[in-house]
Amino acid sequence: MGTSLATDGSDKKKVMLTSILFMGLGHIVHLKQWVKGIFFALIEVIFLCFVPHFVTKLDDMIHIGKDQSMIPAAERQMSTFMLIDGIIVLAFIAIFIVVYVLSVKSALADYRDYCILGKYADNRDATKGILGKAFPIVGLAPALILIVFFVIVPLVFSITAGFTNWSNPDHIPPGGSVNWVGLENYIGMFGGEAEWSSAFLRVAGWTLIWGFCATFTNYFGGMIMAVIFNQTKLKIAPVFRAIFILPYAIPNILSMMVWKNLLNGSSGTVNKTLEAMGLIDHAIPWLSDVNYARMTCVLVNLWAGFPYFMMLIAGQMTAISTDIFEAAAIDGANKFQIFKSITLPMVLYQTVPLIIMSFTHNVNNFGVIYFLTGGAPNVASSTTTKAGGTDIVVTWIYKLTMDDMNYKNASVLAMFVFVVLAPFAIFNFMNTKSFKEGEL
Amino acid sequence: MKKSSKATALTVLVVVFLLLVTFIVLYPIVFVVSAAFAPGNTATGLSIIPFAQGFTTEHFSYLFNETNFVLWFQNTLIIAICTSAASIVVCSLSAYVFSRFRFALKKAMLMSLLILQIFPSFVGMIAIYVIINRMGAYNQLWGLVLVYVAGNVPYNTWLVKSYLDTIPKSLDEAARIDGANHLTIFARVIMPIARPIIIFLAITTFTGPWMDWIFPKLVLGENEKQTLALGLFSFVTDRKDQFTTFAAGALLIAIPFVFFFVITQKAQTEGLGAAAVKE
Repeated sequence: MGTSLATDGSDKKKVMLTSILFMGLGHIVHLKQWVKGIFFALIEVIFLCFVPHFVTKLDDMIHIGKDQSMIPAAERQMSTFMLIDGIIVLAFIAIFIVVYVLSVKSALADYRDYCILGKYADNRDATKGILGKAFPIVGLAPALILIVFFVIVPLVFSITAGFTNWSNPDHIPPGGSVNWVGLENYIGMFGGEAEWSSAFLRVAGWTLIWGFCATFTNYFGGMIMAVIFNQTKLKIAPVFRAIFILPYAIPNILSMMVWKNLLNGSSGTVNKTLEAMGLIDHAIPWLSDVNYARMTCVLVNLWAGFPYFMMLIAGQMTAISTDIFEAAAIDGANKFQIFKSITLPMVLYQTVPLIIMSFTHNVNNFGVIYFLTGGAPNVASSTTTKAGGTDIVVTWIYKLTMDDMNYKNASVLAMFVFVVLAPFAIFNFMNTKSFKEGEL
Repeated sequence: MKKSSKATALTVLVVVFLLLVTFIVLYPIVFVVSAAFAPGNTATGLSIIPFAQGFTTEHFSYLFNETNFVLWFQNTLIIAICTSAASIVVCSLSAYVFSRFRFALKKAMLMSLLILQIFPSFVGMIAIYVIINRMGAYNQLWGLVLVYVAGNVPYNTWLVKSYLDTIPKSLDEAARIDGANHLTIFARVIMPIARPIIIFLAITTFTGPWMDWIFPKLVLGENEKQTLALGLFSFVTDRKDQFTTFAAGALLIAIPFVFFFVITQKAQTEGLGAAAVKE
């Protein structure tokens, strides 16, 4: 055991095998790094203690719908808890595997150091490692733990729910049990059940139109304002600009609730004012007719969203070097030509990633739709599917989850959002500088 | 002469346009201010001309004396401060690691962060609800803080990492030669330079909880534990129409918010720029 290692690297295999055999063994036996080795070994011992428990949990997850009628009521488990416990156990196992791999890598790295130095590392170095070599792990740990348990586990849970029959009224724990149903929900949503498929097509179509219109109007609304403030010589222009930023500074949820009241069909101030002025005879159904309601959503969103792009584009415009404008003016270009051929393309180019971000944000813009219309007005299939005329996918998911407890279909939709939006995220990733320069 | 008259016409047009936009922008704001001071309860009872029905402060005294408004404000403030502080520590540490170290799975991790970031976090809300319950964090403010911080990590880690990437690595190396360890370099060298993005992070993570409604509704059950968004929303549900009270409460939040925005505007627009370049 006490045999010293070869310094020419030939014992790499030996170190690796011992490290794989039991976590930390390589450190203890070969490298004489007691602190690190015992630390790793302890992790494996703790993990092994939990293995029987983990196995039961995983078995429960596979058989979430098992017949529990033989068990006394107090000891019965809710299918959903069985599912989430299983996923949490899987997360622990994944973390354990990562730590295991890291321990083997650490042993190999230490062996490399040993080969170079020709002597064993001081044990004190190992404790110092927390601020040294182990810093990346320590620094990432809080972020990763939070993400694993509050982002990834919930996400996996909501994806797996799509393959179960978890829904109102028969399959809601604790009264009813939930069971795996394979692709049934997906088939139902994408063609199998006429009402759901047509609701899905309608909502998905409107979500895309909404995302596009909302982004387009905000961007060009902001751009028009930015151009005006960029060109005008008015002394009071800053006053206007300060006023125009207000919608951005006021919490969105508040302004949406105010607009909802203002635009109410029968009692809303907007209609009452228009009637009093004699401009209209009948109340305009701002929020109660599907087409009007959709238009209202886009317009109110323009009210709330144009200041953001106004500020951004104004910033981009001032960043363009004035030399180009002077050169163009000397060449005889008029203001419109300068704008069309220089300012617009440059600003557009600079803000492409932001337009994409804004699009994905709008597709997921829960606040505007939910607090302005709540998805209303109802349309033909709204009673069964809960999807109203202005519902976008995320508000539909929310309503299915909170109001209808139709978790199975909610998670099918969540999966859909993921599949549609992931390419945008990847596109933005490919466009980052660090990716292009191959630093990653 | 012809040219100058054309220019005057254009100026008039621009002013008219700006006035029109001003009217539309200010319309709901004036409406809320007038509603907050108007007698009566419902939105239906309001006159179409602002401030035409007299002036009362009863809604404000109602808010302070008969509702949990002060508690809601306190809760929201605590949640916002804790979320902001914790997000800064967690995100800047992980951003520093991603920016300065090479390690296994780094690329995969960064890519996953970016993909996770597009998911509205409430998609997994039922699972979050169950996890929060299992941790005994239901009805606890810290439970909500955990949810918010976790939700902030993916995007903000990227944001800060992109900024840190622009800080020359020679600075770290110089410090390392002087014998500084990673934590010292992080805290003493990198963080001071990264101040603008950290301030931006502080502001955006601080303002986030004030506007959120989904998670407080999920995690906080009792009225005394609720946040402002939830509390105010309860005044204007389908069953209840206390629009004037809502308006008074909305005003009390919107005013500090606008002030806060004015004070932090420079930092915010700088941060927007940094987020825009997204390198």
